[in-house]
Amino acid sequence: MFLKVLSISFMLIGFFFFTTATIGLLRFPDFFCRLHATGKGDTLAVLLSLIGLAIYHGFCLASLKIISIAVFYFVAQPTATHAIARAALRCGVKPWAKGEERR
Amino acid sequence: MTRATDDVIIKTVSRIFTPFIQIFALYVIMHGHHSPGGGFQGGVILGASFILLVITQGLDKTRRRFSQKLDTIFCSIGLLIYSGIGILCLILGGNYLDYSKLNKILPVIAAEARSLGILGIEIGVGIGVMAVMYSIFSDIVTGGE
Amino acid sequence: MEKFFLGIGIGLCFLVLLCLYRGIFGPTVLNRLAGISAIGTKTLVILLLMGFIYDRVDMFMDISMVYAILNFIGTLAVAKYLETKGEV
Repeated sequence: MFLKVLSISFMLIGFFFFTTATIGLLRFPDFFCRLHATGKGDTLAVLLSLIGLAIYHGFCLASLKIISIAVFYFVAQPTATHAIARAALRCGVKPWAKGEERR
Repeated sequence: MTRATDDVIIKTVSRIFTPFIQIFALYVIMHGHHSPGGGFQGGVILGASFILLVITQGLDKTRRRFSQKLDTIFCSIGLLIYSGIGILCLILGGNYLDYSKLNKILPVIAAEARSLGILGIEIGVGIGVMAVMYSIFSDIVTGGE
Repeated sequence: MEKFFLGIGIGLCFLVLLCLYRGIFGPTVLNRLAGISAIGTKTLVILLLMGFIYDRVDMFMDISMVYAILNFIGTLAVAKYLETKGEV
């Protein structure tokens, strides 16, 4: 019973982080700010959701495979975000200062 | 796209992850009868690991590890395994790709011979698909050399 | 318990539709790349939830791992293409 409550709470917190990351992707005024939102928020949300699912399933081989997907994703997604940010810097995207208009 | 990226993070992470991706591709090939997967899907993941090496380390370094001549040989070996098992079944007295006749040379019963035959041609298809994907990618990226 | 997973799955599908706005109307190409990468992330979690709803976890786990690998490689390839402006 306690394990079920723990896994439901993990998944609800993960869903909350997904929602705030998507709202940030839509509402922030600049490209680099949006990259912050989706890079950090999505990675943490996936980590928490997969840990919640692994706890719900119990302690068997399938849970270890779900944890390995989470570990792979925890290393790969920030690398992809870093690659996108580097490409933007090389292409000449300028950061946003307070007082300018949205772009 | 043939030059290496000049970034330490992307180079190191791709170098660390390539062996794990290849082992996972072999797992997908071997478990084709039990879970989604099989020959073609595992071959695509193997080819994707080599494409990852090309776009992060550069084409010259990857060609030193996996030359064009070896690529052509792998292509032919994949097709040879697939057709070879088929013709072997023909020689032993059945139809083309009739695996139950393989129990004349292997010490197993007919049903298990079918399972081993399917595993054999999945391995052949996986090797062939990997070689063809690497060859098509290096052909497009160098502009037809 | 299945109703809870179904509810979270429907919520995530709605978030995918919201992310698609950035994928279509993003002012530059790099905005669209970030939006599509976020859609790939949410698809991964939706696949695993479907596996739990239909009670066949072993099948959907391999598919989601493959999708994580291909999303990573695809994002790296497109980012490099945009950085070097398509030169060979």
